[in-house]
Amino acid sequence: MNDLVIQAASYLGPEGFGNDLTGLRPWPPPFKQNLSRGELGCLHWSLLSDSDPSRFLRMDLMCRLGFMAAELLAVNFDAMPGVRRDRLGVCVESFTGSLDADIRFAQTPRPSIFAYTLPSTVIGEVCIRFRLKGPVLSLISPVTHGPGAIAEAVEWLRNNDAEMTLCLGIEAMNPSTEHSISLPKNLSPRGWHGAALLLGPPENSPREKPFATGALVDVCRKLCSAPERTC
Amino acid sequence: MGIPVETAVSNSAAAIAGCGALCANGSGLEPLRHALASNASALQRRQFIIGKTSQSVVAGFVPDESLRQLRAADPVHADSRAFLFAVAALNQAAKNTGEILDSIPAARRGFVLSTTKANIEALDKLVRRQSVSPVAQRQIQPAFLAADLAGQLGCRGPVQCVSLACISGLSALQQGAALIRRGQSDAVFVAGVDLISQFVLSGFNSLKSLDPEGCRPFDKARIGLSLGEGAAAIVLVKSELLSSPPILLSGWSTSNDANHLTGPSRDGLGLALAIQRALAKAQITPDKIDYINAHGTGTPYNDNMELLALRSVFGGRVPPFSSSKGIFGHTLGAAGILETVLCVLALQNNLLPGTPRLREPDPLAPESLLGEPRAATKLRCVLKINCGFGGTNAALVLQRPLP
Repeated sequence: MNDLVIQAASYLGPEGFGNDLTGLRPWPPPFKQNLSRGELGCLHWSLLSDSDPSRFLRMDLMCRLGFMAAELLAVNFDAMPGVRRDRLGVCVESFTGSLDADIRFAQTPRPSIFAYTLPSTVIGEVCIRFRLKGPVLSLISPVTHGPGAIAEAVEWLRNNDAEMTLCLGIEAMNPSTEHSISLPKNLSPRGWHGAALLLGPPENSPREKPFATGALVDVCRKLCSAPERTC
Repeated sequence: MGIPVETAVSNSAAAIAGCGALCANGSGLEPLRHALASNASALQRRQFIIGKTSQSVVAGFVPDESLRQLRAADPVHADSRAFLFAVAALNQAAKNTGEILDSIPAARRGFVLSTTKANIEALDKLVRRQSVSPVAQRQIQPAFLAADLAGQLGCRGPVQCVSLACISGLSALQQGAALIRRGQSDAVFVAGVDLISQFVLSGFNSLKSLDPEGCRPFDKARIGLSLGEGAAAIVLVKSELLSSPPILLSGWSTSNDANHLTGPSRDGLGLALAIQRALAKAQITPDKIDYINAHGTGTPYNDNMELLALRSVFGGRVPPFSSSKGIFGHTLGAAGILETVLCVLALQNNLLPGTPRLREPDPLAPESLLGEPRAATKLRCVLKINCGFGGTNAALVLQRPLP
C-alpha cells in the first residue's frame, strides 16, 4: 500500500471544536476555557451528537474527549458496507493518560472510577460505540501526543493488519483534580484536547472529498502536536 | 489525492535472545524453571491496607529479601520499586543474551516498556501527603519510567511505552518485533512491570474480582483472581544475528470485543479473532500449535470466555493448555512478558506447564487442560494469549524452527 488519505479529522479543545481542518467553532456560553468538573457535559454533547448521553456522562474526562473527537468525525460506519468492523483499528496516544482518574481514585476509591484508571479505557468506549473490533494500541508518549499513534496506524495499513484506523491524541486533566494534589512539575498536564484522524486508502473513504490537502505530517502537527495551537 | 507513505522495511524476524524475571518466585529464571517443573504456587497470604481497613490478601508478592538486595544496590531508586524490579529483570535478560549485544550500537537498540500503572504507589503516597523522592514521583508517569529504564540500559534507539490493560505485555512484544521487522532496531529490550499497591488492590477489591483464598484458574469452583507483582524482560534481536536455531516471534495480533469495559465478551469471538489473525500472520494452521498458555485469571467469566474462544478456533482438538496465574498471580502489565518467559522455558525444556491450584476442572474445559506439568516429545509451536479491560485481546505465536 502506498497511498493513504485522511478520511476524516476532528479536534476539540479550549478554543472550540471542528472537523474540517479549516477552522474551529467556538463553544457556546457558559463554557469556560479552564474546564471545571462537570463541563463538557450534556450541553456540549448535544452539539456534537444525537446519541444517548447517559453512557457519556459516566465517563472520565479522557474518555469524554476521545469519545467526542471520534463522534465529531461524523463518520457513519454503517454506511460503509465494504469495510469490515474487525478490520477497523484504534490507536490512542497520550502523555497525561489516565492521571486525572488515577488521582481521583487514589483519593476516593470507587469502582466506577477504577474502570477509567487505564489510558486504554477510551479504546473500549470508542470500540463499543462504533462496534470496532480491529487491532488496538495505547501508547504513553513523553514528548508528543498523536504522531506516534499515526505512525503505528500507517504500519497497520501498510501491513494489511487493518483496512482503516482511527487515531486518537488525547490530553485530559480537570483543573480541580490537578489542584487537589501537589504534582511534580514534570507531571503537570499539558492542556486538554482530543483529536481524531481516520486513516485509510482512498477507495474506502466515507467522504466524497477525503482530506488530502498536504503531507500527512503537516496535518498531524496541526491537529495533534500542540494544545495551544490555533487553527 | 493520495499521500505517499515512505517506509523502510527490513523484514527481519524477531528472535528471543535472552530473558529475565523477578516475581513472587524470586529473582532469575531458575525459580521459574523450578516452578514450571514442580507446579508450585508462590502465592502468599499477607495483611494489606485496602481503603481504611487491614485485610487479608492472597497474592504473588516479590520476596522481601529480593527487594532488600535491590534497594541496597541502588539507594537512589529505593522508593521506586517499579524501576528496581524492571532493572533487575532487564539486567538478567542482557546477561543471558551475552556477547551479541556488544556488537549492536546503542542507537540500534530499542526499548519498549509495558505497564498499566508504573510506579503507582508513589501517587498513593502523594495523596496521603507522605514523603516520596523526586525520582519515584517522576516514575509515576509511565513514559518517564520507560525513558529512565532505556537510559539505564544505554538504549538510544526508539523508546515506546505501551499501556493497554492486561494485554500490555503481548502488545509490547508485538511492538518490539515490529521495530526489528521495520529495520528501526537490531535489538529491542522489552520489559513489563507492575506493582501490588493499595491503589490496585483497592480497585480489584471494589470490583469484587479477588479470590480471598487464592485463584484457581479453570477450576469448577473458581471465584476470582489473585494479583501478582514483578517484572519480566525479553531481549529481541534480528534472527540472523543468532547462530543456533532461535525461538521466533512468528505471529501476533490484537482485537477488541466492542462489548463491555470491565467484563469479557460472553462468546469469546474477539479473542478467537486475535488468535486466528496471529496464526495467519505466522502462516500456520491451528493443528500446528503444540501448547497454549492461556490468560486464565480464575474469574468465572474470563475463563469461560477463553474456553469458548479456544473451542471456536480449535474445534474438538484444543491443544494442551494451562494457566500460569496460580504460580505468580496476575502481574497485569508484566503478565504477557512474564508468561512468555515461562513459555520460552517450556520450549527450551520440552515441558508443558501445568495449572497450579487446579482441583476440579471446569466441566466445560476440554480434556487437554493440563493440571500437572507434562514432558513433551516435541514442543515447537506455542500460542500465548491475554485479555484485558476495555475488551482487549492479544495473541502471540512462538516458534522454534527445526534444527
